[in-house]
This record gives sequence, C-alpha cells and structure tokens, in this order.
Amino acid sequence: MRLDHRNPDNDIFDLLETDINKGFRLVVERYSTRLYWHIRRLVILHEDADDALQNTFVNAWRNVSNFRSESSLYTWLYAIATNEALTLINKRTRNYAVSIDDLGSWFANSTEGSTWFDGDEAQIRLQNAIIRLPEKQRIVFNLKYYDDMTYEDMSKILKTSVGALKASYHHAVKKIENILSGI
Amino acid sequence: MKTSDKIPPGNPFKVPEKYFEGLNSRIIASTVEVQDKKNKSGLYVRLKPFLAIAASVAVLALLTYTGMILFSPRSESALLSGIPVEEYPETILNEIDILTLEGNLVLTEIPDIEPGINEKEIIDYLVLENIDVNEIQEQL
Repeated sequence: MRLDHRNPDNDIFDLLETDINKGFRLVVERYSTRLYWHIRRLVILHEDADDALQNTFVNAWRNVSNFRSESSLYTWLYAIATNEALTLINKRTRNYAVSIDDLGSWFANSTEGSTWFDGDEAQIRLQNAIIRLPEKQRIVFNLKYYDDMTYEDMSKILKTSVGALKASYHHAVKKIENILSGI
Repeated sequence: MKTSDKIPPGNPFKVPEKYFEGLNSRIIASTVEVQDKKNKSGLYVRLKPFLAIAASVAVLALLTYTGMILFSPRSESALLSGIPVEEYPETILNEIDILTLEGNLVLTEIPDIEPGINEKEIIDYLVLENIDVNEIQEQL
C-alpha cells in the first residue's frame, strides 16, 4: 500500500502493513460506533443494525488486504455499511411485503413500546417522515444531517455526482418539512 | 438541524446497556471465525487442482483397463474357449475375428514338425499304411 500523508487514517495503514490483525482491530475501534449509528438510522431496529454492522466488518476484513490507501478508509467502510443496511432492508421488505405506504405503520409498530426507542412525539414524526423518503434521499439526508458528511465523501460512497446529491438533500428536507407541517 | 428549524435535532434511538463496551470484541471474534473458516476451506482450495488431476488419472486408468479387457484379442479367445461352438449365437460368431482365431490356433495347436525324418522313412510309413504313392503323386 502506498502511504498518503494527508490521510487521517495513516496510522491504521501503517499498522495494517506490519500486522494486519492489529491494524484491523484499530479500524474496528475507530469506526464501529459511528457505523452502527449510520446503519441504525437506516434499518431502525437495534437487532438489525447489530447484524448489519457485524456483516460490514466481516466484509471489510475479507477485503482489507486489497484495500488501497489512496482511497479513503472512511468512505470505503461507509459504502460497505450502506450496502449491508440496504441488503437487510430489501430482505425485510421481501419477507414481510412492506410497501412504502405501510412503512409508517411498520415504523410505529416497531418502535411502539420498544426499549430501544425513546424519542418524543416530534422525533417519532421525524423518523416517520425520514422512513417515507425514497431510499437514496433517505441515505443522503441521514449522512448530511446526522453525520455532517461532505458531499464529496458522499459522492464516493454513493457513486453519484455532488450536484445530484445536493439536489437530493434539498428535496429530502422539503419533503420532511412538508410531512412535519402536515401538508 | 443545520438547514431547517422545523426539523427537531437529537437521536431518538437507544442501545442496550454496555452495548458498545463489548461491541469491538464481538466484531473481532466474528472476523476471527471467518478467518478460521477461510483457512479450512483454503486447504481444500489448495488441494482442489491436485484432486482433480488424481481423479482424471484414475478415470483414465479405469477406462484403459476396461478397454483392454473388452477389446483385447486374447480376452475374446479366452472368453470363447470355454463355450462349445454349437452354443455360439450367430451374432457372436459374426463378431469373431477369424484372422485372430487362426493366429491363435497356429501358435497353440499345430505342433512343430519333428526334425530328422528322411525320405526313406516317409516311404516306409506309406507302405506300412498301405497308401498308394502314385495316387498321391497324381493328386499333386
């Protein structure tokens, strides 16, 4: 691997070269929590998020030896995590035949009385609005709103142009505002 | 929210108590498990070409041996030698290679002519057996 000294994960790359097990442990320590939250906001349920997170790191481990440091470890891991979350959502949609119109009630049922959801009325309405967004808009909204990710990084993860991502986020915000306003 | 005051901030999701404390260990454990499985399957993957070659050689050897048993001339005569000619079905008789059978007969059944018999002994034998020499000469 060629080292890029501007990369904030250089210490990880160094360690991956000398001791891949220790290097990967550092990857897990640095990214597990933030990837968990990214996945959790997409899949909603804690158990699903935990499964998808495990799969994310298993996939990362399988491919870490092919990873090139000129890429960003951060965006690489987010891309894997996003794919794992979407795979899980698609599986759930197939298994339970949840249509986009039923997502609101599915979300209400999933969170009602759930130990792992303690949002107030406003938060429930927000999550209910987010889950109704088209898939890509939902990912873009979450990455921007919660992770404060740059459009450039998002572009690497979602393989979409920065302009399209900006438009997507703008539409997502408008839709959420309309839903929250009851329009 | 950075762009809209209408959207409430905060994270409504919770996780089980001490979930993040054991998370990294569980993730590492699952990757170690994958590595172990990969190593076990890796042995099979490494041996796979050799197993394929060994299987091919075995099949080839079996086919060669079967071919030799079924199609070798010796085997035909050996199989037929134990059966009376009257019992040979016509189809089997049609498949017999006459030249091969003749070759086997020449090699196995015709004894060598004993050396040291001269002309006088032959004539004495013919006289003894009351065979007319002139008759033989006519036929020749």
